[in-house]
Amino acid sequence: MTIVNYATREITCKIVYYGPGRSGKTTNLHYVYEQVPDGRKGRMVSLATQTDRTLFFDFLPLDLGSISGFTTRFQLYTVPGQVYYKTTRRLVLQGADGVVFVADSQARQLDENVESLQDLHANLAEHGVDPRTVPLVLQYNKQDLPREMILPAQELDDALNFRGVPYFAADALHGRGVFETLRAISELVLRRLSSPAMAGR
Amino acid sequence: MSGGSLAAVERWVEQPLRRFVEDARLRRTLLLHPSGQVVAQQGFARSVDVMSACALAAGIRASAGELGRMLDGRPFGELFHAGDGRQLYLADVATPRGPYVLLAVFDAESSLGLVRLYFAELAEHLAAAAPAPVAEPQVLPSGFEQELNRNLAVLFGRA
Repeated sequence: MTIVNYATREITCKIVYYGPGRSGKTTNLHYVYEQVPDGRKGRMVSLATQTDRTLFFDFLPLDLGSISGFTTRFQLYTVPGQVYYKTTRRLVLQGADGVVFVADSQARQLDENVESLQDLHANLAEHGVDPRTVPLVLQYNKQDLPREMILPAQELDDALNFRGVPYFAADALHGRGVFETLRAISELVLRRLSSPAMAGR
Repeated sequence: MSGGSLAAVERWVEQPLRRFVEDARLRRTLLLHPSGQVVAQQGFARSVDVMSACALAAGIRASAGELGRMLDGRPFGELFHAGDGRQLYLADVATPRGPYVLLAVFDAESSLGLVRLYFAELAEHLAAAAPAPVAEPQVLPSGFEQELNRNLAVLFGRA
């Protein structure tokens, strides 16, 4: 649910990075955090275990600056990927304006990717949201690993991207694809605010 | 005396909330959607701090709610955290526009009893003041993408 303050001309959007455990969701946020200057970001909040696995969520507030006269802010969240945190994922997903699905490109992780994507759809449906209407971008992460370990982005796309949404090959650890992914989901989310049919959401 | 002025995204919450802040002698206050989006705040200096506080408050409320449902099928309606010198009260507010969440931070100038007393009044005032939801006009003109891309490029040092 995008928050629009007409009095102060501010827009606030919630974007959730979703995907299986260890696919690189938190790594995406860390890279964004490192790139953005201090004045344009808040503290990155990580509710994690002692071994740095996401326990509840990571959170990073960003100030995108002025767009069409509106001060635009994004709230980036990640969810814990492990199967047993389903309830937590559903809670974090509540009110999301857009979702980045971070898939693990390793061939042996394909089933986990599919399962996590199904879990995303189920959780959206539980919130009464039609999964086909939510702005979504797919990111095929870890494309820097040796070729024999991973599936090419096109092959992953054939397996996961049945909606035909934008997708990006990525190496989040070194930043490849992170910016492009954020730009794509930002555009999809904000485009809803420029469509009269979606106004008032 | 409460700390800091109040700023609200939704104007109709301003008056009831301002009165609550004064009456209950709060240091910091947040009114938010259960999704973690801010509706009003008092006492925070930076907007990014407000967003982080809202995300955490929504997380506390959500996880405690699930815990309550596990225990006896009902979520907790209010929570209290005691601290050294400052305390925190978190509670759901039902309105015709849907549920909201209140987070109130107070110190020795107030008390949990006082906050709960005035919270009951606040909940009534908010429920009475809530306007019916209306469709808002189109926010962004088409062609905003160029400005978005430029801003993001600047943000990432690519401009």
